[in-house]
Amino acid sequence: MRFKQNPSGPTTFRFGVVLPVSECNTINHAKAISAGLKALKLLGVEGVEMPVWWGIAEKEAMGKYKWEGYLTLAEMVQDAGLKLHVSLCFHANEELKIPLPEWVSRIGESDPGIFFADRSGHHFRECLSLAVDDLPVLDGKTPVQVYQQFCKSFKSSFSGFMGSTIIGIKMGLGPNGELRFPSHSRVGKSCKILGVGEFQCYDKNMLNFLKQHAEATGNPLWGFGGPHDAPSYDQMPNSNSFFKDHGGSWESPYGNFFLSWYSSQLLSHGNRLLSLASDEFGGSTVTTYGEVPLIHSLFKTRSHPCELTAGFYNTDNRDGYEAVAEMFARNSCKMILPGMNLSDEHQPQESLSSPELLLAQIRTACRKYGVVVSGQNSLVSKASHHFEKMRKNVLGENVVDSFTYQRMGAEFFSPEHFPAFTEFVRSLNLPEKHADDLPEEEEEVAESLQRSSESSIQMQAA
Amino acid sequence: MASSRRPFLSREPKREWDQPPKNMRPPGSLPIKDYAIETPLKKSSEGQIFHEVKINLDPKSSIAAVNFVLKDEETGAWYQHRGRDFKVPLVDYILNDGSVVGVNGGFNIWPGAFLPNMLLKSEEMPSKDQDSSSESKDTKQENRHVEGFYEEQPITKQVVIQNSATVSVTKCPKTAKNLLYLETDLPGEVVVHWGVCRDDAKNWEISAGPHPPGSTVFKNKALRTLLLSKDGGNGCSRLFTLDEEYVGFLFVLKLNDSTWLKCEENDFYIPLSSSSSFPAQPGQGQSKVVLESEKTVEANKEVSQISYTDDIISEIRNLVNDISSEKSRGTKTKGAQESILQEIEKLAAEAYSIFRSSIPTFAEEAVSESERQETPTKICSGSGTGFEIVLQGFNWESHKSGRWYMELKNKAAEISSLGFTVIWLPPPTESVSPEGYMPKDLYNLNSRYGSIDELKDLVKCLHEVGLKVLGDAVLNHRCAHYQNQNGVWNLFGGRLNWDDRAIVADDPHFQGRGNKSSGDNFHAAPNIDHSQDFVRKDLKEWLCWLRDEIGYDGWRLDFVRGFWGGYVKDYVDATEPYFAVGEYWDSLGYTYGEMDHNQDAHRQRIIDWINATNGTAGAFDVTTKGILHSALERCEYWRLSDQRGKPPGVMGWWPSRAVTFIENHDTGSTQGHWRFPNGKEMQGYAYILTHPGTPAVFYDHIFSHYQSEIASLISLRNRKKIHCRSTVKTTKAERDVYAAIVDEKVAVKIGPGHYEPPSGSQSWFLAIEGKDYKVWEAS
Repeated sequence: MRFKQNPSGPTTFRFGVVLPVSECNTINHAKAISAGLKALKLLGVEGVEMPVWWGIAEKEAMGKYKWEGYLTLAEMVQDAGLKLHVSLCFHANEELKIPLPEWVSRIGESDPGIFFADRSGHHFRECLSLAVDDLPVLDGKTPVQVYQQFCKSFKSSFSGFMGSTIIGIKMGLGPNGELRFPSHSRVGKSCKILGVGEFQCYDKNMLNFLKQHAEATGNPLWGFGGPHDAPSYDQMPNSNSFFKDHGGSWESPYGNFFLSWYSSQLLSHGNRLLSLASDEFGGSTVTTYGEVPLIHSLFKTRSHPCELTAGFYNTDNRDGYEAVAEMFARNSCKMILPGMNLSDEHQPQESLSSPELLLAQIRTACRKYGVVVSGQNSLVSKASHHFEKMRKNVLGENVVDSFTYQRMGAEFFSPEHFPAFTEFVRSLNLPEKHADDLPEEEEEVAESLQRSSESSIQMQAA
Repeated sequence: MASSRRPFLSREPKREWDQPPKNMRPPGSLPIKDYAIETPLKKSSEGQIFHEVKINLDPKSSIAAVNFVLKDEETGAWYQHRGRDFKVPLVDYILNDGSVVGVNGGFNIWPGAFLPNMLLKSEEMPSKDQDSSSESKDTKQENRHVEGFYEEQPITKQVVIQNSATVSVTKCPKTAKNLLYLETDLPGEVVVHWGVCRDDAKNWEISAGPHPPGSTVFKNKALRTLLLSKDGGNGCSRLFTLDEEYVGFLFVLKLNDSTWLKCEENDFYIPLSSSSSFPAQPGQGQSKVVLESEKTVEANKEVSQISYTDDIISEIRNLVNDISSEKSRGTKTKGAQESILQEIEKLAAEAYSIFRSSIPTFAEEAVSESERQETPTKICSGSGTGFEIVLQGFNWESHKSGRWYMELKNKAAEISSLGFTVIWLPPPTESVSPEGYMPKDLYNLNSRYGSIDELKDLVKCLHEVGLKVLGDAVLNHRCAHYQNQNGVWNLFGGRLNWDDRAIVADDPHFQGRGNKSSGDNFHAAPNIDHSQDFVRKDLKEWLCWLRDEIGYDGWRLDFVRGFWGGYVKDYVDATEPYFAVGEYWDSLGYTYGEMDHNQDAHRQRIIDWINATNGTAGAFDVTTKGILHSALERCEYWRLSDQRGKPPGVMGWWPSRAVTFIENHDTGSTQGHWRFPNGKEMQGYAYILTHPGTPAVFYDHIFSHYQSEIASLISLRNRKKIHCRSTVKTTKAERDVYAAIVDEKVAVKIGPGHYEPPSGSQSWFLAIEGKDYKVWEAS
């Protein structure tokens, strides 16, 4: 209910909830969402995040956009008096059964080279490889051009909401919307401990770039592929020599050559998309966001293998996040960081993981470049320590700019979860709310609610 | 609302009812048999909507509590408190008695509803023969008495509102246009969303003008027109002019933002005169539709969900009470806050009930693709994926060979191929009794079932064939290693060398120095005091060790009646199991030796336990087993439908947390404490394996001549994707036959009587048939 005026730009909401993903086009659950929105509003939640999927809005053919479902949803959010962050999703999500646009999948069937590939040639089909960003692989258009048209059409279709209801746009940057390589795509979901992951530089265009780069830097023999001595997805760092803590080839000149190139590919990709976003949406009315993953597994090793395979050249000797923060700053973009509910003590010992240290490192880099950080939790959890951690992250000394909570749905409103969430939100509001000076607007809301439920027989206590 | 109220008193804080002494009965009371009185409520004053009754209590009497239920004379409806009596405690009450109302914040359980609030007020009334000035002193001395008591209890009254809308169509001969007149007696502002269509496909289209003044176009598909209120203020109406080329008029009514009225699930459709399909006289047609307020319809449809929403509401209620007790008592703000929170809980409950049902609701747009994304299977410890089928992997004799783990290992592949997803293994610890339920050293996993290495090997093999493994954790009690100086066995050894502080204080046999038990006592061994932090910490560590060392995926928790479900939540949160189920076994309700039809109180106790675990664990559906006993044994199949036409067990109220079973190592096997009716086991399995809930099959049954029949039922359940939240429609519940249709794709009947599934839109073919049961699949 209270909006914080941000000196650097437009109004932002401090706390929001992400809407369900699966119903966005058909609004099967319009009623549920509408009731849910009202409940959130009354709880004091300020806004919601709405994922807008490429595979749904531009499903059938390039340039044939269908915004109706999303427009209805935006209207519902507006009617509920909430603010809206829109998350533009240029990726698919198999788990949620949201595909890429049909026409893109068709192209991918005849030319799988538009997707990332790993060492064994397996393609990751949930988003396009960053290597094709500027190649005319989509019926003569480059992916960046297609994304741009998508943004333009979105902007004009939602012009009535821009700046009023829609106050933030999150640009999808890769797998799961995050800026990263899909280095852990083939990892068994049941695995408790995350292995090192794999480099994703084996699609034909990436290999091509690598070759050119190797030749240009005078090491043509380094341009045939990724490191031969890297372990595979589920393995631990020591199972091969690349990531070894001591004497691993990551510290060799070759290691530095490869990792610099690999991470710079990710950075330029991020830069392309964020500058596109700030061109389209920049200015004073909406804020643009990009999401950086929190790859905290194996953080306590020297080589940080998981971050390396994901494209962040961050090791014991090198800060890989400063360049990322600088890139965000260049595009006046705020950074979304997930995992705000994670704490070190609840990570399995063997994972050598430290979400807290990593979060602190990224935030330091952001502070250095003046990048505003916005938080998100990793998953709906009913465990109280998750809420405690979030509370600390939201209210603590390192206050984040805003926080979005994912995600609305049956589990969210379930008796296992919703009471804890209610308690959490209320605890966020406590510092501001004293029983004696409850704002009048709340009373009005309450009264109007009573009026609207006339059909019920009310007996009010005297 | 003419209500009558039957207050009455009991002398002990138990559930027995006793008639109050004569001097306490308010005027107008009538005795009901010998255990209750019925007293009408009076309007508290003219023009008010409150009804009240004043009961004078004699503080010198030994009355412990006033129990009551309410009856609405108008409708005959009874109002209870979550399936039990309302209870006003007059002396110390037992905290874990969930039916107590009106005690201080944090432990209130509110019945789940939003409508009329009810007030309970209690003041200490000095009895007449005492000096009234001694009142305050009196209450202080008698501090066993409740000093003040004030509680609001919302109860629900369902009101079905009937309204009608009449549409008449007249052809205007001059203009060759149809004049359509729509009128309704709905109160308030009514907006018609309407369109016309050219053929039977009923595609919405905007009619050519002129439109009624003030109409607006809605999303290029419909027109929005406000009905004008009629003179005299009763309802509203509007006239529409339509070209004759249209064959039909489509509409829905919008009352407010959240209330839409439709015809069943569809749009209202009025054929216009040119339509040949309409059998009325040409040129004129009139149709009348009966509208029911949608909200009410929904309430009727979703009665089965009330228990779910109750959970949310009670949880939030607790929260609200906690919050508001911290706040200052500014009545105005408190009132506003209260109504906001009330509204939030109502909205959240509504959202939850819709989100979890897969039924698509009306969307403002006519959506062309109705493909519905399946909700991803989420795993939660209360229900696993929702598609689990459990095997109890042992019986009471399994310890005898000394090599059970190895024997079971040889069956791993077979068990998996039978379609099970989860297997429950016997308690693994060193135990005073060979079956394992009298654990001693929790960290010693060499038992009569085999060694720790054999257990690990077994678990590994079970995992390899895709089974999840439940460990049987006995947390309620533990056998001691040593005697204390009085010769009482209450000192523990091994890695957890607790002393008598770990034992509850209220079992004199073991001289525990802990707190009182938070549940019932199991008298054969020292009951562990879970309220002690060190005990909980040690047990959490132990469970995590079991999980990591052995590889257990979840828990079957023994005798959970013995301690508070909140502690179970703690253990579950700490170990994050894939699946957890508790054994909450107490007796069903009987009157004169005959099982009551209504077992709501029994299942409520189990639900209360699940609720205390915050839904993190499921519970064995003892209620369903008990009712199946009576139904099958006595040929009383009507028992399988509760008052609302739903399954009468826990499965009918909280299916995702109900683990249904017909037999286990205690009830059957060689113990036979409560054996399922002999020879009728397959009817039991036909029931639980086609119904929601998570079914558990007993070892003795799957490895018997029943195997092929049970296997085909499991295979059908898996094939038709019946899960723990599937919907059941009871289609017959008579003396000799019960039948139901599950998820509209499986039909089942049990009992000797005749039943055939309706030959309507679906065609059914018989899939499995056995003695007194049949199962059909929709093709």
